[in-house]
Amino acid sequence: MSSEPVIRLTDVVQRFRLIRDRPDTLREAFTKMFRRRDDFQLFEALEGISLTISKGEVVGIIGRNGSGKSTILKVIAGIYQPTSGRVETVGKIAAMIELGTGFHHELTGRENIAINGMLLGYSRREMRALESQIIDFAELGDFIDSPVKQYSSGMYMRLAFAVATEVYPDILLVDEILAVGDAPFQEKCMLRMRNFTASGNTIVFVSHDMHAMRNFCSRIILIHNGKQVDDGPPDRVIARYEELVMRPADALRT
Amino acid sequence: MFELVRETYRYRELIWALAAKELRIRYKRSTLGFLWALLNPALLMLIMTLVFSTISRNLGIHHYSVFLMSTLLPWTFFSQTLSYSVESIVSNGSLLKKVRLPKLVFPVAALVSNVINFLLSLIPLLVLIAALRFPLHWTWIYLPVPMIGLVMFTLGVGFLVATLNVFYRDVAHIIQVVLSAWFYFTPILFSLDFVAPSYRWILRLNPMLYVLNGFRLAIYYGMVPSIASLAMSLACGFFALLIGLRVFRRYESSLVFYV
Repeated sequence: MSSEPVIRLTDVVQRFRLIRDRPDTLREAFTKMFRRRDDFQLFEALEGISLTISKGEVVGIIGRNGSGKSTILKVIAGIYQPTSGRVETVGKIAAMIELGTGFHHELTGRENIAINGMLLGYSRREMRALESQIIDFAELGDFIDSPVKQYSSGMYMRLAFAVATEVYPDILLVDEILAVGDAPFQEKCMLRMRNFTASGNTIVFVSHDMHAMRNFCSRIILIHNGKQVDDGPPDRVIARYEELVMRPADALRT
Repeated sequence: MFELVRETYRYRELIWALAAKELRIRYKRSTLGFLWALLNPALLMLIMTLVFSTISRNLGIHHYSVFLMSTLLPWTFFSQTLSYSVESIVSNGSLLKKVRLPKLVFPVAALVSNVINFLLSLIPLLVLIAALRFPLHWTWIYLPVPMIGLVMFTLGVGFLVATLNVFYRDVAHIIQVVLSAWFYFTPILFSLDFVAPSYRWILRLNPMLYVLNGFRLAIYYGMVPSIASLAMSLACGFFALLIGLRVFRRYESSLVFYV
């Protein structure tokens, strides 16, 4: 695989304001109004992340809940503008931070394919060309013209997965994508993702499914408390992670 | 401003899809469906005509319903678009956090869906005009001009309130109160002629006055407004858009942290 970098983060810091507490009563609201500035505390979700991802790589990001995994995806996607540091990307990015984002329950599967595709930055014509492949892949059959609120959750996720991957973006960013559907469908998803990278597309994803990660990733990045702890071959990094998880909770800052 | 046009053009398909989605959802699952877009203004007209028929006779305005509708329909467009825009960014918050999107598509889509609604509401007005044998003035062809002013003004205020509402959710409530007060402060039920001359200057501070004047003159009186009034209506729209867009651009990249 070529080593042409398609994603590069340099010293990315992402700070959030955490709202400390909401006023419960009117009186509280009034007194708070005059000291609005004290209402939040700063929380550093990413504390200086630097990484480079090359074309065709399948990179998994692991870490405990709240460690900053999804924040990294959002920064790469351009959803968050980092507090400091640089983000450079090459090519078309499709970010599905959550599968099925933007689906509207009253609209049919077909209508949602078009809208979802447009949300990912594709034109109506491009989506129409892909429509039948998406429907086939998602195994929806006649359901495609029913409102998605009548779908089973499996059908819903299958459709969402099909849309996000059928468009073949240069970079696909996904959060917990592997929890889609039953075993045969998961098999199909894995195959799809393999084809995906074989054709030079890049995937960065977040998951807690270590088994799938090991099978699937060429490289894993371990994030802990907003810092990059390890970056390398799956076996080694997953071992590090398990060690980290095993440690008693009070040894961690969380 | 140039950027607005460029991004709107670039995302025209998405904006169109969002606007269409909004309309479709608004009318879906109701038996009469899209007919409601026509029925709503028609029924409003009926009510207004019945309620105000006596008043209008006393005021000596012939065909008060046409007089009223010529400004009430554009006003309804304005207030309805604002009600949609003010929530447009907040209500799409979960989307903004998960997909990278230019945030301006939401206020613009709210505008587009309401423009369509407004244009549809002109159909019952034409029916009313025909039914009353009221003259259909040639000045109807002038209507795109006040429409441009109205759209710019509405979009500008829309950007402003949509942005502010992300930081202070009170804005969505305040805007409803402001709109109902603004309604009576604007010559819609009446015209400027009914106001004592010494008070007229107050009403002239109202930026909606000039734009609505264009609609009423063209539809009801069969006239076009003076150059001064026309210039005022376009200038108000332009400045509202400039300010609204400024504020929106200033906070655009931080909106995602507050929705």
